[in-house]
Amino acid sequence: MRQFPVTLQHALAAEYVLGTLRGRARQRFERLLRSDRGLAAIVRGWEDWLTPLAANLAPVEPPARVWQEIAARIAPRAAAAPASFWSSVGFWRGLGTALAVALVALVVLFPRTQPAAEAPSMVAVLTTPEQDPRMIVERHADKLMVRMVKPWTQMPGQDLELWAIPKDGKPRSLGVVRYDADTEVRLANLDLKLTDSVAFAVSREPTGGSKVEGPSGPVLCSGVIARTQRA
Amino acid sequence: MTTDTQHQHLAALLARSALGDRGAFEEVYRATRSKLFAVSLRIVRERQLAEEVLQDSFVSIWNHASDYAQARSAPTTWMTAIVRNRSLDVLRRGAHETEDVDEMLALNLVDESASPARDLEESEDLHSIRHCLEELEAEQRQSIALAFFHGLSHSELALHMRKPLGTVKTHIRRGLMRLKDCLGKRGTTLDGRG
Repeated sequence: MRQFPVTLQHALAAEYVLGTLRGRARQRFERLLRSDRGLAAIVRGWEDWLTPLAANLAPVEPPARVWQEIAARIAPRAAAAPASFWSSVGFWRGLGTALAVALVALVVLFPRTQPAAEAPSMVAVLTTPEQDPRMIVERHADKLMVRMVKPWTQMPGQDLELWAIPKDGKPRSLGVVRYDADTEVRLANLDLKLTDSVAFAVSREPTGGSKVEGPSGPVLCSGVIARTQRA
Repeated sequence: MTTDTQHQHLAALLARSALGDRGAFEEVYRATRSKLFAVSLRIVRERQLAEEVLQDSFVSIWNHASDYAQARSAPTTWMTAIVRNRSLDVLRRGAHETEDVDEMLALNLVDESASPARDLEESEDLHSIRHCLEELEAEQRQSIALAFFHGLSHSELALHMRKPLGTVKTHIRRGLMRLKDCLGKRGTTLDGRG
């Protein structure tokens, strides 16, 4: 990797922290930061120097809905109790009843762009723990369509990962999906991945997907699968 | 509470959040939300966007609470940096057109760098940066304050200050290096290769 002289490192770090380093240069610098500890230390130093200035700002109270949304998005830590979360009976039962209504509403509200012959064999509406519908997953003959109800906010260095939840509760990855648009998931072993699946879920993961077996980040939304015809 | 005990209190709450304690995390939120919302609001300039930034930042803080121990900065510094970066990312998405900026800025911008001390409990760090900003030339100080508080890019600064882009870049670069000398002399040295 290219090494910058210390003065240049400081100049770049300072403008990064100040916010005037923009666009591609900022992205390149962020990539560099992840691999260069020395540079990261210089950035931290500039943050220590400049950010106390923010204490000067007059506080502004955010509306209560901000915390509600945060609370809904910080699901129990997957690392702390993966099994109990994914297999919790109450979790699925609560989800099932609330979803019946949302499912009907959404399937009616979202007009099908494909002809009826291509009707999906499985549908799931994924909602947040607050029952806010965010994504719809449809099983078609050769693919899954992941449709966006309400886009997520992109977070740098993070991706959304789709999971199939089988009866035994151990999530199977279906890969990374887009945060702001529909995604087509085409997998050679799709049938295998979906065997005995009862639900889909989406979690926030490091770029490229979870580095461990199963989800490592918070579950953003999930939904039970409804089979619309004999699959 | 003094700033030191506040820091210790927040650091302890973050440590508990890292272990999955949502109650502790809610306390972190309550203690910092209004300052952090103000930080984001200044930069993204729209309440809706600032709310999104605050949400995403706190979800990120929750997810990375265990990294805080390694950050070795004051908790508020660490959290403010997350909110500022997220706010700048939102700007990067192109939510703002340059045309609007000039007029809006003329109406709304205040030069925070020139405001008198409000806090009796002003932290040592804040005291240092304020002192060092005061030592800069007026235009250097103004451009740094505008960039820091309002997230202005070089070209937005040039528009607002009615100066050529190159001149503004020079103000920023020289101003920052003078800050480095001044802050370095005051004993708040950087880690690493600084």
